[in-house]
Amino acid sequence: MIEVSGLTKRFRDRTAVLDLTFSIGRGEVVGLLGPNGAGKTTTLRLLTGFLPATSGSIRIAGFDVFEQPMEARRRIGYLPEVPPLYEAMTVRGQLRFASELKGLPRRLVPGEVERVAGLTGVDGVLDRLTSNLSKGFRQRVGIAQALLGDPDVLILDEPTVGLDPIQIREVRDLVRSLGGRHTVLLSSHLLPEVAMTCTKAIVLNAGRLVDFDTLDGLIARHLPGRKVTLDDIAFLEEIFGKLVTPA
Amino acid sequence: MRATLAIARKELSVYFTTPVAWVVLVVVAFFSAQVFAGALDGFRLLTTRAGEIPGGAALLERVNLTDAVVARLLGSVGLFLLVTSPFLSMRLVAEERRTGTFELLMTSPVRPAEIVAGKYLASLVVLVAALALVALLPAALSVAGRGAQGGGAVEWRTVAAGLLGLFLLGAAALAVGLAFSALSATPVVAALLSLLVLLGLWLAGLFTVGSGSAARNLAAGLSASEHLAPFLQGRIALADVLYYLSLCALGLFVAERAVEGRRWG
Repeated sequence: MIEVSGLTKRFRDRTAVLDLTFSIGRGEVVGLLGPNGAGKTTTLRLLTGFLPATSGSIRIAGFDVFEQPMEARRRIGYLPEVPPLYEAMTVRGQLRFASELKGLPRRLVPGEVERVAGLTGVDGVLDRLTSNLSKGFRQRVGIAQALLGDPDVLILDEPTVGLDPIQIREVRDLVRSLGGRHTVLLSSHLLPEVAMTCTKAIVLNAGRLVDFDTLDGLIARHLPGRKVTLDDIAFLEEIFGKLVTPA
Repeated sequence: MRATLAIARKELSVYFTTPVAWVVLVVVAFFSAQVFAGALDGFRLLTTRAGEIPGGAALLERVNLTDAVVARLLGSVGLFLLVTSPFLSMRLVAEERRTGTFELLMTSPVRPAEIVAGKYLASLVVLVAALALVALLPAALSVAGRGAQGGGAVEWRTVAAGLLGLFLLGAAALAVGLAFSALSATPVVAALLSLLVLLGLWLAGLFTVGSGSAARNLAAGLSASEHLAPFLQGRIALADVLYYLSLCALGLFVAERAVEGRRWG
C-alpha cells in the first residue's frame, strides 16, 4: 500500500532523509520511530506530497506521489504535526470544508462528518469554534479530518503529543482499531507508544532507516534469549537505545 | 471547481467573521461619502455663484453633475481601493502558512491554481460589495436630481464606465496583493509590500518629473491612475482594459507559482 524506494531529501545545507526504502502492506499499522530530529516529520511530509523528494520514489496505493499527486492524495488521510484547523470555524464547518477539499460527493458530506466525529469522540463539540477547543480535542478533530472519506492510507504525525494519559489511551485504542481497514503509518519518539499501537516499527536515526521489523522480530534480534512482553517498557527502551546511538 | 468554490466560501466567511471586510467597507463608504458631499457642495457653490463672475454662465454650460461630482468621487475611490485592498489580500495565503493550515490545502487533492482562484474570487466579492456601496451615491443623486432638472441628473453610461474602471483597478490591486501574500512569510509583510508597489504604480508619474519624454511616457504607461482617467470620462479603451487585465494575470500567475513553490519549501 505504501512503497518507498531510495527516498532522499536534502534541504539547502543538510540531508534530512537519506536513501529510505521500505514497503507497508494493506491494513498494517506501522510506527515510525526515532529521536527528535531523526527525519520523521520530513518523511511523512514527503509521503503526503507536501514536500518534494530530492530523489527516490513513493507510491501510495499504486499511485506515484509526484507523478500522480491528485490520485495519490485522494487515498491519504493526513494529520500533520500541528492539526491544521481554522480558528474562526466550528468543528462542523472545519470538517465540511475538509470534505469539500477532498472532493466527497455533496450528499455524503453531512453523514461522513457525523461518522468521523463519532469515531473520534468529537460529536459533542461539533458546533464549538475550533479556537475554543482544548489541545486534546484539537488533536481529535485533526484525526477526524484525516479519516474523512475513509482513505486507504492514514498518516499521523505524533497523534498523541500533548494529550493527557486518558486521551492518549483513547487515541491509541482508536488507532489500533483503524488497522485492517486502513493502512496506518504513525510517527512517535516513544517506543512504548509504538509497541502498544503498532504491529511493526521503522526505526529512523539521523535520516537513515536503521531497522524495520515486527516488534517480536526487533526483540528477538536485539535482545536474544530475553523473555520480553510488550508491556515491558524498560526492555523496549533498551532496544531503542541500541539502535539510535552510534555504535 | 468545487474546491475553488469551497475555498471562496471559506474566505468569505473569514472576511465577514473577522473585522477585515467590514473595516474596508466602512472606510471606503465613509471617505467616499465625504468626497461626495464636498464635491456636491462645490458644485452647488459654482451653480449659485456662476452669475457673479465673468464668463460664469459659459462655464456653467460646460459642467454637469456627472463630471463635476461623480467623476471626482470615483477618482478618489480609486485611491481608497488601492490603499485598502492590501488588507483584503494580505492574509489569503500568508496566514495559512503561518498557522499551518496550508498543509491541509497542499495535501488535499486540490491544484494550486484552484486554491489561488478560490481566494481571489472571495476578495473580488468584497470589492464588488464596496463598489455597490459607492454606486449608491450617484444613485441617490440621480433620484434627488430628477425633479429639479427634468432629465436625468446623472449620465449612467459614464458612471458605469467609471465603476468598470474601478473594478478593474481593484481586481488588479487584489491580484498583486495575493501574489505578495503567497510570497511573504507573514500577512503584515505582504500588506506592506503590496501597498508599496500599488502606491508606486498609482504615483508612477511623479517619479519622472524633469526627466525626458521617453521616461515620462513609460511612467504614464505603467501608472495605475493614468489608466483610470479615461474610464472616469466614460471612455472604455482597449489599452486601459488590457493594462489592468495584465496586472491581474501577472499577479495571479506569480501567486500560483508561489503556492506551487511553497510545496518545495
